[in-house]
Amino acid sequence: MRLSLNWLKEYVNIDVSADELSRLLTMAGLEVEEVTPVGQDVRMVIVAKILAVDKHPEADRLFVCRMDNGRDEVPVVCGAPNLRPGDMVPLALPGAVLPNKMKVKESRIRGELSSGMLLAEDELCLTDDHSGIMILPDNLEPGTELSSAMTIDDYAFDISLTPNRPDCASVIGIAREIAAVTGQKIRIPEIEYKEEGPPITDLAKVDVKDGSGCPRYAAGMIQDVVLGPSPFWMRYRLFVSNVRAINNIVDISNYVLLETGQPLHTFDYDQIKDHRIIVSRAKNHESFTTLDGQERTLNDEHLMICDGERPVALAGIMGGINSEISDNSKNILIESAFFNPVTIRRGSKALGLQTEASYHFERGVDIEGVIYALKRALMLSYQLSEGKINKGIIDIYPEPYTPPVIDLRIEKTNKFLGTSITGDKMVSYLRSLEMKVSDPENGRIQVIPPTYRVDIEREVDLMEEIARLEGYDNIEITYPPVRPSEEKELPSLTLKNRICEILTGLGFSEIITYSFISPESIDKLGVEEDSSPIRSIVTLKNPLTIEQSIMRTSLLPGMLRVIRENTARGEMDLKLFEWGKIFINKGSDQDLPIEKLSLIGAMTGLYQEKTWYNDARTVDFYDIKASVEVILEALSLKNVIFERTEPGPVLHALESCTIKIDNTNIGTLGKVNPKVIKGYDIKTDSILIFELDVDEILENTAGYSAKFEQFAKFPAVLRDLSIIIDRNIDSSPIIDIIKKSGGDLVESVNIFDLYEGEKLGSSKKAVSFRVCYRSKDGTLEGNQVNKIHERVIEKVRAETGGTLSEG
Amino acid sequence: MEDQLLSLKKNALDELESIKDKKDLEAFRIKYLGKKGKVTSILKGLGDLPSDKKPIIGKLANQIKSELSEEMDNAENRIRANKMKIDQTLDITLPGRRALRGHLHPINLVNREICDILVRMGYRIVKGPNVEFDYYNFEALNFPKDHPARDMQDTFYVSDKVVLRTHTSPMQVRVMEQKRPPVAIIAPGKVYRSDSDVSHTPMFHQVEGLLVDKGITFGDLKGTLTSFVHQMFGPRTALRFRPSFFPFTEPSAEVDIQCVMCHGKGCRTCSNSGWLEILGAGMVDPAVYGFVNYDPEIYSGFAFGVGIERTAMLKYGIDDIQLFFRNDMRFLRQF
Repeated sequence: MRLSLNWLKEYVNIDVSADELSRLLTMAGLEVEEVTPVGQDVRMVIVAKILAVDKHPEADRLFVCRMDNGRDEVPVVCGAPNLRPGDMVPLALPGAVLPNKMKVKESRIRGELSSGMLLAEDELCLTDDHSGIMILPDNLEPGTELSSAMTIDDYAFDISLTPNRPDCASVIGIAREIAAVTGQKIRIPEIEYKEEGPPITDLAKVDVKDGSGCPRYAAGMIQDVVLGPSPFWMRYRLFVSNVRAINNIVDISNYVLLETGQPLHTFDYDQIKDHRIIVSRAKNHESFTTLDGQERTLNDEHLMICDGERPVALAGIMGGINSEISDNSKNILIESAFFNPVTIRRGSKALGLQTEASYHFERGVDIEGVIYALKRALMLSYQLSEGKINKGIIDIYPEPYTPPVIDLRIEKTNKFLGTSITGDKMVSYLRSLEMKVSDPENGRIQVIPPTYRVDIEREVDLMEEIARLEGYDNIEITYPPVRPSEEKELPSLTLKNRICEILTGLGFSEIITYSFISPESIDKLGVEEDSSPIRSIVTLKNPLTIEQSIMRTSLLPGMLRVIRENTARGEMDLKLFEWGKIFINKGSDQDLPIEKLSLIGAMTGLYQEKTWYNDARTVDFYDIKASVEVILEALSLKNVIFERTEPGPVLHALESCTIKIDNTNIGTLGKVNPKVIKGYDIKTDSILIFELDVDEILENTAGYSAKFEQFAKFPAVLRDLSIIIDRNIDSSPIIDIIKKSGGDLVESVNIFDLYEGEKLGSSKKAVSFRVCYRSKDGTLEGNQVNKIHERVIEKVRAETGGTLSEG
Repeated sequence: MEDQLLSLKKNALDELESIKDKKDLEAFRIKYLGKKGKVTSILKGLGDLPSDKKPIIGKLANQIKSELSEEMDNAENRIRANKMKIDQTLDITLPGRRALRGHLHPINLVNREICDILVRMGYRIVKGPNVEFDYYNFEALNFPKDHPARDMQDTFYVSDKVVLRTHTSPMQVRVMEQKRPPVAIIAPGKVYRSDSDVSHTPMFHQVEGLLVDKGITFGDLKGTLTSFVHQMFGPRTALRFRPSFFPFTEPSAEVDIQCVMCHGKGCRTCSNSGWLEILGAGMVDPAVYGFVNYDPEIYSGFAFGVGIERTAMLKYGIDDIQLFFRNDMRFLRQF
């Protein structure tokens, strides 16, 4: 809410600076977001009197005014349509800089001298009015500075309101808060106007058919209004609050809303058929044109204001075009009502139509303030529209509101807040908020909150008010007793930290991407089967863009996108990883999806740049595999198998594999299918990735902890074995053969050489193994080992069909 | 003759001093001590001398010979040492052979720092679903259906019952449903709001904290968060608590710290106020206890939430929240 400080000062004495007031309000829970000076930078603008208006000899649309500036008569050229001899107007002297940064100079305009510039209100940034020169009150003295003559030194306060304080969405509401925190009294304008003509009850009937939607409906009438612009002071205040001035009647209803927080609606009485107002629900699919010209389709939850024949307003939201105030309106019916907050909110949400009125009603207006606001509007209409106020008002209010009576326990309050505030102090705080408060008795206080404080219903609500007025900053700091948790850290966090350590050590950098992705990015992975997890998608009902419309079922699309963006910037050598959740739809949008933790790593470009000690080398399959091996080894995972399997469309058919622990898949690794890379428009030849199912890893590491093993007591014996085999024979099964045929004495087997080259022809390779033999029971004899090793060699040769190499 | 010999010695020693390698040293040896060397020649020519001079000159010449031999040994050692120094000196300014280091995302780093502080204070980390029931995200946190408080958080919907969590606060309810007090938990994680502009991303990260026990006061809330802010931003960071509103806490507070950029003088980061909003907090509203069957007459507690992006931006001086999710290597490499 934005409002003028000078306006506030009408209701409460404010003897602190704007900055201090801003601090006081913020510390009381009304956060002041901005304080903007208004009218203060108006310098070298004076009050001047128009003495004569002559046509400019050289320009049809311009006039030359003779102005009395208090000392001399000066000529000023002006083109405004409202120049009238005798009027007081603002004159910017040569050298003035206007609030809109415009510089005023003495100049000749089409040959005529102009010693300054006459100003419209918008040029002074006082309103948005540019229809003519601002007309000042007649009683001002020519030559006086405008800012002192008009007391336009002001500040606009921009206050951010929390939804629990609708009462503060008004100038009086904020004035009340200021009064409470500064110990001042509030002054509410008294109602005073003359009634004449027939009583309203003879002119209009109101029938509330939906009492739950409309607990209170009041109306008043004015006849023979003269529509016209509102006075400057009103337009100025509306302008500071960002409300556009329209005409006196409409402005009054907006002004009273700002002042009291009570939305009003003004009807053209002569457009109300049968002069009857009926409050009832709309029919389903009924259509209605609101005064913004939009035709809207209603449902039976919408509360309507109808006349004898048809709807004339969407209750509490917006009026209808069929009964709005027009230039010809003479007789006005003003509505002031209390509508059910939930009804208004639902209606407004269903239409996607939020207005000032609906904002106030859905938060709750003061049901006891309905009549004051109505009368305030009648009073202003009486003053500003020359209309006649009809006798009386209509007020349909069958079940008057009973405010809650709340018991506040003094000791409980202090125990809750950690304070030692006396009962009397509490009473005085609450009274400053205009609560009806009993004196303390038996450690208790009885409190009746004012009707506009719809947020106060319970004891704890009062405790908050006491804390607020005591000042949060004045409540002493204490510390709760520390209780160490007896539970272990979440295994997934321990694992995450461990994996982050390993991967950053291996040169991978962590990325974090959005959990939502585009449907297209899943399509581009080429997975066709709708039943696959990657296609079991959770879709958002209201995404911001199609790019962020589904929850990710894989971390790959996000990773590929990051690779695309980085490579497009020339960052070609990347090692990246992301740890995050993927979301698998269980089949119903009424239920939560399965959320699985997943880990993806990716490499592209060079493993390492050319350095003084190394040549540049492009990453390949064995680099990504090593990363996975290091992770799994560091987690002490046993029985890990890398298995050649049908990789699906995402990975390269020949350079990929499945990672298993025993028979459970825990992930995949390999080269990304070039088609996918192309589909993602990534300018790089090859990307290598691994994806690990973190939940499976967690299952396999659950409860695991390293166990110390005794060092081997006896020496090892090493024997080598080199064999030439067909290139398509995998090496790891050979290790299994060695272990199996070598028996318990084989401690480990390493592949220490691999040769693929011209000497062997393209279909062969030579693989060399180093076998480490060791016994737990004693030192092995050379002969004993040789025998076993020969058996091993024989077995390997037989099972692989290879030949022994000279290695 | 004697003078001649002494000056020969002096010249030889001077010469020897300037010799830098073995070759020159050999030439030197030949020049003075070789078969036709200067000293050798003198010794050979002793016979031609008058006999009274013989012993004197002979002694002197022999003396010079042995002295030069000794000095040559020294020179040789010196040359060898010198050569070794040159041959084996490392350029210790060459960059080391290195494996390239990876970088953790700043969100992760700051998240760890926040969680570490709170874990030291006795809180246990819990995790929960990102896609959440409306019940946990709103209803059980005292955001009734059709209440304007729901407008405080622009929500992504999966269905009328299921939303992307708008805060990590649902974990409060999930934990209290499972466990009786005392409860001391923190819930870090991703949250989502349908809001995207210069200063908002539709996904961001939060850490929520909850402490419920007997006799917990608003003063305890202040103490806990003051200690947190001091550990996070430095022990001299000024902070202030001011009233605010969250449906699931009462009283509610917003915690501001003195602007870390301008130290309270007012700058662009703090919109000239000198203060930065860093935490939302409050005493748990009794309405929430109603959903988990805690008796507010026995237990009280507080909850708080801190934004990780905001904290990271202040800590590292990052001026654009969008950078966190672009994952530009030029950005990631800096952490």
